[in-house]
Amino acid sequence: MERSDIYILCIEDEQEVLDAVVRDLEQLEEQFPIETANTAEEGRKIIEKLLNDGMKIGLILCDHILPGDNGVELLIELHKDERTHPARKVLLTGQAGLDDTVKALNEARLHHYIAKPWKKEELLRVSVDLLTDYVISNEEDLLPYMKSLDAGKISEAIRTRRNVSDS
Amino acid sequence: MKSGVLGLTPIQITGLFLGIFGLILPFLLPLETLSTAGQLGMGIFLMAAVFWMFEPIPIYATSMLVIFLQIILLSAQGPVYMDAELPVSEPVALEEETWQIPSSALQEDGTVLVAKEPGETESVRVNVIDRNGQHVIVQSDELSQDHEIVTDPGHRLVDYEPNSYTDYIGTLANPIIILFLGGFMLARASVKYNLDKNLTRYLLGPFGTRPRFIVLGLMLVTAALSAFMSNTATAAMMVTVILPIIAQLPPEDRFKFGLALSIPIAANVGGITTPIGTPPNAIVIAALSDYGIDISFTDWIIVAAPLVVVMLVIAWFLLLTLFPPSVERFNLDMKGKLNVSPKAIGLYVIFGATVLLWITENQHGIPSSMVAFLPVAALVTGRILNKEDIQKLPWEVLWLMAGGISLGIGMDKTGLAVWMISGFDWGAMGYITLIIAFSVVAIAMSNFLSNTVTATLLMPLVISLHTSGVMGEDFNLLITGIVIAVACSLAMALPISTPPNAIAMSTGIIRTKDMAKMGVIIGVIGLLIILAYAVFYWPLVTN
Repeated sequence: MERSDIYILCIEDEQEVLDAVVRDLEQLEEQFPIETANTAEEGRKIIEKLLNDGMKIGLILCDHILPGDNGVELLIELHKDERTHPARKVLLTGQAGLDDTVKALNEARLHHYIAKPWKKEELLRVSVDLLTDYVISNEEDLLPYMKSLDAGKISEAIRTRRNVSDS
Repeated sequence: MKSGVLGLTPIQITGLFLGIFGLILPFLLPLETLSTAGQLGMGIFLMAAVFWMFEPIPIYATSMLVIFLQIILLSAQGPVYMDAELPVSEPVALEEETWQIPSSALQEDGTVLVAKEPGETESVRVNVIDRNGQHVIVQSDELSQDHEIVTDPGHRLVDYEPNSYTDYIGTLANPIIILFLGGFMLARASVKYNLDKNLTRYLLGPFGTRPRFIVLGLMLVTAALSAFMSNTATAAMMVTVILPIIAQLPPEDRFKFGLALSIPIAANVGGITTPIGTPPNAIVIAALSDYGIDISFTDWIIVAAPLVVVMLVIAWFLLLTLFPPSVERFNLDMKGKLNVSPKAIGLYVIFGATVLLWITENQHGIPSSMVAFLPVAALVTGRILNKEDIQKLPWEVLWLMAGGISLGIGMDKTGLAVWMISGFDWGAMGYITLIIAFSVVAIAMSNFLSNTVTATLLMPLVISLHTSGVMGEDFNLLITGIVIAVACSLAMALPISTPPNAIAMSTGIIRTKDMAKMGVIIGVIGLLIILAYAVFYWPLVTN
């Protein structure tokens, strides 16, 4: 499958957890390259570099408790930045309190909350769902994404959007 | 991801340069036997053909460019022909049948051109008696005092009377384009109010839950919808219907290949059924109409529907043979509820009335393009479609067809089309061989090119075979045109052959080799069926 210019970014300070996320999302990586970071600061740098290279961020999976700025703060910041605004944002955590979670929901328009420990199927399903939403709202040509993402939703989008026509 | 210069692939860049080269080629290597207008038309034709094949720019952009170049280079108001006047002079009578004419008028083959009607000249043979600088003395019993002799036989107005530019830009309002506009608006409204999905749900009901009948039902419904909506939109919608069925199959079950292939096949074939089913039909209908052959909506259905049904049944049989179902029953649970809001009801009424008036055109005689304005006007008057909906219509498809029709007008008018067929002894080929040849070429080309483009490139040749009369009495313009339209829609061996193929392939369910296998079989059987219909059936219904 052809690599797209849409990236998945995972930010998590524990290396084993990060590896587990990457392993669980392996089947998406062929099309959506995965970048990882251990801190919010490192995450920002990666985002900056990717955007400068003309790439897009489609999905951000972020832990809450991180060294330095915490996950919710980072997600709020990325929500406000118009370049990362369209990215789907997931809080992947065991330790976010109610206040932080509510804040993430209200101010970062959090798309999903996954509690640790997660099941592979759940993480994958949520990621596929969110990436499907992302490509439907942001991409012109949806056909390349049908195979790896939600084909039903994508064909429905093609039907209603009509940007594929007879030739 | 696009890469390379200007975001174009190396193939596209090659196409870009080849196309530009094609545009200027006739001026670098002028063809003796072709008029100046023909050379201009040839340049436009070469560029368009190359651009449509290599797609350095989108195919609809090429169509718009064609119209632009035609109004600039070929129209009476463009810079080339704006102030042009054919240089003529009258022969000076010296004595009986002896004339003095300007030496520039004498052509190498010993003839002079006599201007007749605008755009027409007659070649007259003369015997040169004496040359004297500016003039020649010739003997001819065909010349007379009131003849106007063309003093510059290479002039751009020789044998060419330029059209008004409005003829070229007017193709966008060609009746067949308006017919499509009506169809597009109905389709847009159907999607908006989910009429297409609800119809599918009702129509699939009677086919039950047995796999073989589900496939038959899917194919018939897909074909029926794509006869009135775009093939692509229908295919996209039907994919949402088959995915839940495929999810019920064990992963290794080959039946899913057949299921997923049934949609693009039925959508491609279904487009043949009506004039508005698919754009190649428009190209053929518009070209025929210029020669006084107006084919009504009803006539088209009488001609095409029996072929569509036969092709669908054959494809159904093939799919079940190649990919037999292993499951006894499916659960076909399509959710949804008929929208009964006043606007939706309005749509149902307009939809029903329009389709009824279309298919009964022969009974009431109101042209289908006029009827097409009923949905155009009624859907916006009733606020069933709003401004955003209209903006979302596939306008580029209308331009694609308009450019194709316009190219045909130019090729015919400049004499290019007749010139292109002139190098070959068509008469010796025979009508049946010709039908086979056109079908094979159309199916082969259309597997790689847009169906509309294939029809656009072939139709001018068909027309000139008619106007030049080289095929003799046997040749039937109407049937040959229909052959082109049908053949263009029967090419479906590759994912790139048609947009419905691309959609089906993108689901990841089918493999390219399955699509290729079915596509080739359909193409070959289609060829035989076209031939059979062209010989036995169409002559009966087209007189």
